[in-house]
Amino acid sequence: MNKWKKQQPATIKPYKRPTLSGDGFGGRAGFFLSRALTNIRQNVFVNVVTIGTITLALLIVSLFMLIFVNLESAAENWSERVQVTVYFDRELAGPEQVSFREKISALSGVSRVSYVNREEALKRFKSRLKGQETLLEGVRPEVLPTSFEIALKRTHRDTVSVENFVKVLKRIPGITEVQYGEEWVRRFNSFLNFMRLLGALLGGFLVIAVIFIVSNTIKLTIYSRRDELEVMSLVGATRFFIKAPFLLEGLIQGTAGSVLSVTLLFGLYEAFLHNAGSFLTFNPTTSGLNFLPVEYIAGLLLAGALLGFIGSLTSLKRFITV
Amino acid sequence: MAQITEIGNIMIQLHNVSLAYQQDASALNNITLKIAKGEFVFLTGPSGAGKTSLLRLLYGALTPNRGQVLIDGQNVTRMTPSQIPLLRRSVGVVFQDFKLLQNRTVFENVAITLEVLGWGRADIGKKTMHILKQMGIESKYNLITQRLSGGEQQRVALARALVNDPKILLADEPTGNLDDANKNQILNIFKEANIRGTTVVVATHDRRLIEQSHKRLVTLNKGEIVEQVEKTTTGDDQAL
Repeated sequence: MNKWKKQQPATIKPYKRPTLSGDGFGGRAGFFLSRALTNIRQNVFVNVVTIGTITLALLIVSLFMLIFVNLESAAENWSERVQVTVYFDRELAGPEQVSFREKISALSGVSRVSYVNREEALKRFKSRLKGQETLLEGVRPEVLPTSFEIALKRTHRDTVSVENFVKVLKRIPGITEVQYGEEWVRRFNSFLNFMRLLGALLGGFLVIAVIFIVSNTIKLTIYSRRDELEVMSLVGATRFFIKAPFLLEGLIQGTAGSVLSVTLLFGLYEAFLHNAGSFLTFNPTTSGLNFLPVEYIAGLLLAGALLGFIGSLTSLKRFITV
Repeated sequence: MAQITEIGNIMIQLHNVSLAYQQDASALNNITLKIAKGEFVFLTGPSGAGKTSLLRLLYGALTPNRGQVLIDGQNVTRMTPSQIPLLRRSVGVVFQDFKLLQNRTVFENVAITLEVLGWGRADIGKKTMHILKQMGIESKYNLITQRLSGGEQQRVALARALVNDPKILLADEPTGNLDDANKNQILNIFKEANIRGTTVVVATHDRRLIEQSHKRLVTLNKGEIVEQVEKTTTGDDQAL
């Protein structure tokens, strides 16, 4: 075996090898790029179809992401309402108030503590009963309880954390009555979990469908040019030499598709969605939907490029057989 | 059979080669064959005799189940996939259906061989036009190959195979789609390449082609060599 291998360089090398179009990676990269661009120019229809497919597929995914991101931020806002209230049946004097506030603030998960005295409580009560203030005639502030309102940090707003927090809170001497709207917290959190699960499922299916559609489209475009792969292989092109222009082409298609889809998404957003607040009040603080954050857009662009590249890579593997 | 004793003089050597696409049906059965450097050999036999399979072994498109295939001293059966392209750079192949890129020009179809080798643009231009001139189709260099006649297309395919001055030229039914006038032209190109030192192996069942060339003839049937005829290179060849 070695006997034959040793002879190889001398016998296999083309005996005549004039100036090369570019030695090293740089020169070849230029050649491959010009090849890829020529291929795109010579197969305009196929490329338009591929880029169109990638654009539409990513547009669907990005629309889904836009809605999901906005739902998440709406949920974040709603969760501000997860609040624990400690009631007292007497007005707390200055030092006592401070000591309670310190004890409560020292607990983990607390983001804000505010004291509501009787006057404030009555004021709130009144504002809630706007238009029917007569009901409160004769009600004096003394009948209302005073309270500490405790807002929790984002990470401590799920049902279990709230329950644990309340347990710890009740251990502070002097604190007896604690309310936190158990039912509401439970429902809100189960809704949130359901939404996230649904989102993950739908998003997962969507991504799988997109990968399937795009990879099949690319497979078809490469299939339509399998004679080219065969000829290249016949005249002694290495696998890398055959693949490189196709991979670059896939990369260009993927990038073009993702740029187009983000542009289209932005157009759609500007035209319809940014003021959708009139009928979709997801987010109470801002009206309408927010556009995707920058990292999501970067992710989409990268995903498009990768989709084109990997789609081409896997398809090529099937067709370079000769 | 050729009286070849000197190892260094052999270009193609098959040693007890067997090939089966499926377990029960063997395409080639225990073939042993030697072809000398610069020889011109016709492979013939009925359809399904194994001509195409044998050629495919010679450019590394198939690996035999058993036996060894040596091309110019290198054992093709032991080559890694990355070595096969290097083998193919010294072997030109033409087919009955030409296998040209239909949407490319004649020039592009031929230049591809040199692009693969990494030649520069100017050298590719010179060499490609030179070979097109030899094939008598230099005036059509800028035409899409679809527009050419069958004979012209085969000459483009031959130009692609020969532009790199290969050591071996393999042809699988190269004249199957051509009329008599074109057949003769193609045969002459084979002979010229052979005179310049290229070893030529042509698989065909065109008796007329074989008879008028006076070359060595290997007949296959059902995957076996059933007959080998040594023809003298006199007569018609002198007139070439």
